[in-house]
Amino acid sequence: MKLEIKELHASVEGKEILKGVNLSVSQGETHALMGPNGSGKSTLAYTVMGHPKYQVTSGEILIDGESVVGLPPDKRVKKGLFLAFQYPVSVQGVSMFSFLRAAYNNSRPAGSEPPTIFEFKEVVAEKLKLLNMDESFLNRYLNEGFSGGEKKKAEILQMALMQPKFAVLDETDSGLDIDALRVVAEGINKVSGPQTGSLLITHYQRILKYVKPQFVHVMFEGRIIESGGEELSRLLEEKGYTWIRGYREEEQAPPQVGQTL
Amino acid sequence: MPQASLTSFDEGLVGSISASLGEPSWLTDARLEAFGQFVALPPEKNPLYTKYAKTFDIALDRFKAAAGRSEIDFRSFFTGYLTGNESDILLQGNETQVHAELSRDLSSKGVELTSLHDALGQDEEAVRELVRGRLVKSETDKYAAFVNAFFNCGTFVRVPRGVVLDKPLRKMLLLDSPRTPVIEQNFIVAEEEARLVYLEEQYSKGVPSPALVASTTEILARPNSHIDFSSIQLLDDQTTHLSNRGLGVSNDARATMSSLSLGASVSRSRTNFYLNGRGSFAEGFEIFFTDGEQRYDYETNLVHNSPDSTGSTQARGVLKGKSQSIFKGMIKIVKEAKNSRSYLADHVMILERTAKSDGIPSLEIDNNEVKATHSASVVQVDEEQLFYLTARGLPPDEAKRMVVLGFFEPVLSRVPIEQTREGARFMIEGKWEGEKRRLVDRETLLAATGELTPEVKESEDIFERHYKYR
Repeated sequence: MKLEIKELHASVEGKEILKGVNLSVSQGETHALMGPNGSGKSTLAYTVMGHPKYQVTSGEILIDGESVVGLPPDKRVKKGLFLAFQYPVSVQGVSMFSFLRAAYNNSRPAGSEPPTIFEFKEVVAEKLKLLNMDESFLNRYLNEGFSGGEKKKAEILQMALMQPKFAVLDETDSGLDIDALRVVAEGINKVSGPQTGSLLITHYQRILKYVKPQFVHVMFEGRIIESGGEELSRLLEEKGYTWIRGYREEEQAPPQVGQTL
Repeated sequence: MPQASLTSFDEGLVGSISASLGEPSWLTDARLEAFGQFVALPPEKNPLYTKYAKTFDIALDRFKAAAGRSEIDFRSFFTGYLTGNESDILLQGNETQVHAELSRDLSSKGVELTSLHDALGQDEEAVRELVRGRLVKSETDKYAAFVNAFFNCGTFVRVPRGVVLDKPLRKMLLLDSPRTPVIEQNFIVAEEEARLVYLEEQYSKGVPSPALVASTTEILARPNSHIDFSSIQLLDDQTTHLSNRGLGVSNDARATMSSLSLGASVSRSRTNFYLNGRGSFAEGFEIFFTDGEQRYDYETNLVHNSPDSTGSTQARGVLKGKSQSIFKGMIKIVKEAKNSRSYLADHVMILERTAKSDGIPSLEIDNNEVKATHSASVVQVDEEQLFYLTARGLPPDEAKRMVVLGFFEPVLSRVPIEQTREGARFMIEGKWEGEKRRLVDRETLLAATGELTPEVKESEDIFERHYKYR
């Protein structure tokens, strides 16, 4: 089973950001997607999940060979997709508990009986334990007043409950201190099983110490311009993004493209 | 009593209503005085608000009234609206006199739960005092004057000194094509150190028909007493609703007013909290959800007349369709009321472009040693929130429902009466689903929903929360 992105072009408000992305993630694999600000990494994440503002102009997003382009986000979830948000949205008045329960019920296979409130409490308690999270989390409003670390943990909690086939983790490491980073990274490892294919979007190599990718891709100006193994991330960390396009830092600043999302 | 023919709201009607109720002359005189104000006052006195007056016009001229009352059989009239286990409840069908069911326990404690006119027979002097000291003054508002002149029914509730009631007292008004408007004058009094919870409900049954329900409610919390008052308005969409409330809070007393409004075609509500005693505390919650062509005109004022008083009022509303709302609120702190804290907020969500809402908060503060803040906003459903929820598998409708119903929660979750809080959720959900629901007890609620989702309790003090960001 595969998540395949083929020659994907996508625009935001008429401006083309993705200019022919090719990527294939199989279940069980971990891919890291790196690249400078504005290279289109988050656009790719949103486009894969089906954000209404992101229009696919050509190309394909396939899950197990079936196109998901044009499907609303909730239908993509049914196909096994998950996006951990870089900036999780807070919703005042919606309790974490009822939100998680709705997410859990809606990501389960059709026809299965949803758990009762008591059964669900047990399910979620187990996942909280896995991520060293306190049960008081459930009695707060969705992401409301959460610290950076709490928000990212909550994203991984959702992933743990929804058990996706393919998870796109958009800068799950950003805004975290070293301790929080380790906890979140360990969480990712705990919740991704052999059935999960992950695409880890990141600026930095530091999360890759904990979450080991088999493949590393570099995105630049809306395309993946380089792919390799883990060693590529180390090379990038050492030399910076300018190196990848043949620019030398001392000579020329990297070109400004796209927009930061 | 033979039924008189319907007339418009004139002086003759004032006299005939008073005569038909066998009132003493001082009360007839008080009515006539109010009538003078009713004739003299414009629909909107405050120049800040006059430009909205037309949109929310009550058009009283459409209605006619008569003295005398129809008789109903309470048992059959309220069939389906009561479980049969109720006690300590006032029932009113249309404009007929109030029917009171008071348990022996409460009556032995001296609790009074009765119609205004029965109270007049039993303790005329007490009623006279209350009328004389009315908080809802005729000279301040045309529609207050209207009720004070033309009331044809009313309630009187008094909990004596030191009596603490742990169960709510209830009052249910049920309309079924009334032949004459329902115009109520209500008094609720907690004597010193008394404690009472009061649930007022207003429903329509049968085929919707043009009707008028108007009331004034005087709520008096004497020193060290505590009143939690709640009101649920679910009248049909042909009914015009007028409400005018005054809450007088004495030294170290506490009064809360929680109001849920879902019904009526036009609803005009005025609530004034008078923090009259040192250390008094008042809290208001106005929750509404409108659709179709409903129009709500709401005003809540906090008047701090004493030092160390704390007042807060929060409105939350959601508007669908072509409905319209306006929320006006003023914090007034007099010179003597130092160390007072006051908070006023009005936050509204509109679901369609055709819906319209305005908020006009204002401050009038004559003492510098106070904290006072207000805020108002009108928002639409946030697309990013919807995307987030749909990206968690929720179908768009369910995502929207969750965001919209959640919008009420920061205020709804603070409503102090559990039955009102849980019932309000149930009724708001009902309105979202397009079905009419009523306030029910917990057992019925559990039977209907199967389970109750755990509540989120925000523990912080709203003053702290607010000032943090100043």
